[in-house]
Amino acid sequence: MATPFTAMLQTLSRQRGVTAALVVSEQDGIVIDSNMHIGQSGDRVAALAASLYRKARLSARAAGMGAVSFMQLEAPNGRLCAAGSGELVLVVVAATAVNVGLVRVDLLRAAVELAQIAKGGRSR
Amino acid sequence: MSEDVRRMSDQLARDPSSRIFVPLGEALRQQGQFDVALKVTLRGLERHPHLADAHDLLARVCVDRGEMERAFDEWDMVLRLSPGHLGALKGMGFVCFHRARFAEAERYLAAALALDPVDDQVASALHHVRAAQTQAASPQAAIAESIANDSRYLFLDVLPDEAQTALLLDPAGLVLAGAYIDGNGRDVAQDVGAELSGVTDAARRATRHLAMGDWTSIVFETEVAVVAMAPSSQDGLLVLATSRATPLGLVRRLLSRCQEKAQHWLGEQR
Repeated sequence: MATPFTAMLQTLSRQRGVTAALVVSEQDGIVIDSNMHIGQSGDRVAALAASLYRKARLSARAAGMGAVSFMQLEAPNGRLCAAGSGELVLVVVAATAVNVGLVRVDLLRAAVELAQIAKGGRSR
Repeated sequence: MSEDVRRMSDQLARDPSSRIFVPLGEALRQQGQFDVALKVTLRGLERHPHLADAHDLLARVCVDRGEMERAFDEWDMVLRLSPGHLGALKGMGFVCFHRARFAEAERYLAAALALDPVDDQVASALHHVRAAQTQAASPQAAIAESIANDSRYLFLDVLPDEAQTALLLDPAGLVLAGAYIDGNGRDVAQDVGAELSGVTDAARRATRHLAMGDWTSIVFETEVAVVAMAPSSQDGLLVLATSRATPLGLVRRLLSRCQEKAQHWLGEQR
């Protein structure tokens, strides 16, 4: 069944090296929608990614840095990228070799779309 | 007008090329007639431009008139015309002391004392200069020592740019070193640290769950800044904040330098 997030998650998952794309509630880390490779479980990743994003957002607010737009966690065997919009966070799990620049652009674009969906309208 | 001044004035009137203008200018200066002394000296120098004692007199008149810069130039001229001129060495020592250039003042006065070791005035002046030099150096040394011992300034030499700052946090988010000054001049390091407590743990669990290996960095972009984080020893967290204009490659390099600095510092604290 298609959801308002299906198209944007498919677009994100189409990037070479991306293994999962999720829309997560920042507040409680619950998965709203996801596009994942077979065999993956998104619940735990979603909760941890939302927690990280929330901490980044709150620390930026404490420092007077303004809103957080993009976050990236790097490890030897993969990356976790996230972009937020209101109460929702878009999370992408990817291999190390992924083109982070493209993922970033797609995530930021999708975050704008996410904001529009949250307001009740669709951009396309 | 004193008898001496009248006599010398008459002599100068009879022979304008006479060098009597030097003692005449000095007598006028001692009487406090600085403008007249200046006039006589300048007129004499027109005829004797290479007379070192005349330039020395002019320098002293300038000091009386509060013209230190000009006095310095005149004594400098004297030392060119007559290296080792005692009056000029003393004068340069005085002007340098007045400008708080104590090292130079000491050099000139020491040279003057070497020429006239029994001159008590020079010995006393040299003593004053050395005392002032020690006093001036002490606060700087104290500040430098204070900065070196204050962990808030730990990353100062690694991050010379005002728009860059770093924090070292313990596992509970408490600040171990560094500072974060917000736009209102308030150090919000503790607030930032409190919000970031648990990041290390969450990052570790996420990367382990995804079988990515241990996390190496987290970077997030805000409206005005780029923040980079890396794990530090003893389960701590290193946080680096730079302006949005900082290229990401440079952010990584700065983060690496801060990591080294933090590692070294933590080693010293054990």
